[in-house]
Amino acid sequence: MKTVGIIANPISGKDIRRLVAHGSVFDNQEKVRIVRRLLVGLASVGIERVIFMPDYYAIVQRAHKGIHSPIEIASAPMCAENTQEDSTKAARLMVDAGVGCIFVLGGDGTSRAVAKGNAVVPILPLSTGTNNVFPYMIEATVAGLAGGVLTSGQISVEEGCFRSPVLEVLDDDNNLVDIALVDAAVHTDTFVGSKAIWSMKQITQIVLTRCRPDSIGLSAIGGQLHTLTPQEHRGLHLILGPGGKRVLSPIAPGLIEPVDIALEDHLTLGQSIRVDQSPCVIALDGEREVEVKRGAHVHIRFSDRGPWVVDVSKVMALAQQAGIFVQPR
Amino acid sequence: MTIKKKTMVQMYNTMYRIRQFEKKLQEFFAAGKIPGFVHLYLGEEAVAAGTCAALNKEDYITSTHRGHGHLIAKGGDLKLMMAEIYGKSTGYCKGKGGSMHIADVDLGILGANGIVGGGGPIAAGAGMAIQYRGEDRVAVCFFGDGASNQGTTQEALNLASAWNLPVVFVNENNGYGISCPISKSMAITDIADRAAGYDMPGVIVDGNDVVAVYEAITAAVERARKGEGPSLVECKTYRWRGHFEGDACTYRSDDELDEWVKKDPIPRFAKKLLDDGILTQKELDKLNADIDDELAAAITFAEESPLPEPADMFDDVYA
Repeated sequence: MKTVGIIANPISGKDIRRLVAHGSVFDNQEKVRIVRRLLVGLASVGIERVIFMPDYYAIVQRAHKGIHSPIEIASAPMCAENTQEDSTKAARLMVDAGVGCIFVLGGDGTSRAVAKGNAVVPILPLSTGTNNVFPYMIEATVAGLAGGVLTSGQISVEEGCFRSPVLEVLDDDNNLVDIALVDAAVHTDTFVGSKAIWSMKQITQIVLTRCRPDSIGLSAIGGQLHTLTPQEHRGLHLILGPGGKRVLSPIAPGLIEPVDIALEDHLTLGQSIRVDQSPCVIALDGEREVEVKRGAHVHIRFSDRGPWVVDVSKVMALAQQAGIFVQPR
Repeated sequence: MTIKKKTMVQMYNTMYRIRQFEKKLQEFFAAGKIPGFVHLYLGEEAVAAGTCAALNKEDYITSTHRGHGHLIAKGGDLKLMMAEIYGKSTGYCKGKGGSMHIADVDLGILGANGIVGGGGPIAAGAGMAIQYRGEDRVAVCFFGDGASNQGTTQEALNLASAWNLPVVFVNENNGYGISCPISKSMAITDIADRAAGYDMPGVIVDGNDVVAVYEAITAAVERARKGEGPSLVECKTYRWRGHFEGDACTYRSDDELDEWVKKDPIPRFAKKLLDDGILTQKELDKLNADIDDELAAAITFAEESPLPEPADMFDDVYA
């Protein structure tokens, strides 16, 4: 049975950046509508079953109820705890269930949580968050078509996907503490609190897996100096402070700040940065996540062990070349 | 956001004061010492503590039927509160208002409120007064998930937005309106989603994380002070006790309660203060002991105070 997974985060798009910047309130009914369009796309290419992450809004069930879809839906066998671990756990269960692709609705943080539970099955992240660098801002109907032809085997994973680099946060004993897909930043706070970051005055270092000039969030800072695609597996380390370049960057929706970069350095796969500053908090993909106690240290390693990601443009281009959507009259 | 150590300690102090106050009321109600109803705030302490830590003394709050936590966090006097709840003449309302009508205008407390959704219009009115007078104040409206379905709350949100009033709407989403889960009373699950309909920011925070609440409210208050209008902050939390003392809670499971008790905001914040060296264990113990002593004095004050005289029945009756 051709099966895909859907992980839709009901909490994405509602963090403090609506107050400290100009982020939009992304309501859950909009996520329902996106999933409906996704289901239409999937059904049109023969996907038969969806396994979904249970959530308190019942996003996928509501979406399915609102249309006449031939697709059968089933919850991943788990109870929602309403934490980011739900996404990680759901991803693991979907891998076990043999799905061909996992669609992720959320921001960078949601994709990160999914990547923690899955580095095997390709993911197709759709933006419903705030600072959206990792997920695509594309039409869900098209995403359904792309993920569907990949799952049905008409386009292979090797042809239509790329392996994303990742930043691994390690403790002094080299134990993996957490990961980031786009950016890791050293923040002077000592608490996680409301998670989001919005003041550059409190950030001392940034490590990036990707950046481009039209990006948003912390990767936009590196993006004013370099372009690094996720396919080329080259990272960037920035030490903030006076003495170097100053760049004007959109660090959050509706929030643009000048940022002083004292030092910059490219990273190769396997290379690590030791963070000597403590106490501090390591922000991962724009959210404060790892509290580093006084006297402790962490390392941030640039790695190629990230998730497989569907390259939607490439899949659709390959589908065009193969005439997959050309039908006899 | 940098948070001063003093503020961190203050927020712990507030949460512990609320917790101990409410535990005593739970005990006294069961013993039949307290007249009337009490609606306890146990489990939700981080919302009041984080919110009021972001306010100045001059700022206003409107409270709810579950208001003890809000009042304590805004500086309410434990003696006067306890005496009022005991129905004694030394209480905030001379013993004739009880738990749901405590107010202290000098502290900006515009009153607890027995009417679900009653605080919204008062907060919007306070916001209008602030704007009219050109004052550097904000008004905070605490309201529950049940109140969010009341027309009064929606009208207040609408006018606050239409008139760009300095009001922060702090929703305490504890999952139940009396015995009704939100799944039975709302088509949506996140009250913050409603903010978009009023062209105001709506955010969700972990209502059991006092720092997360403080950060969000600080940002919302800053917007309001700068003239950028109202905000809606939804704090996801849970009430450990029933709607009122005596409620058998047959509408929810023990497992659900157990899961939320694991998220108790007070020990998790105490651990943070100790781990970060903001307080030593000795200092924390002393802080707790001082609050317990203050509470004991409030209880003695309430118990030893006289009841109102029958002749005073019609005093302070305005209509």
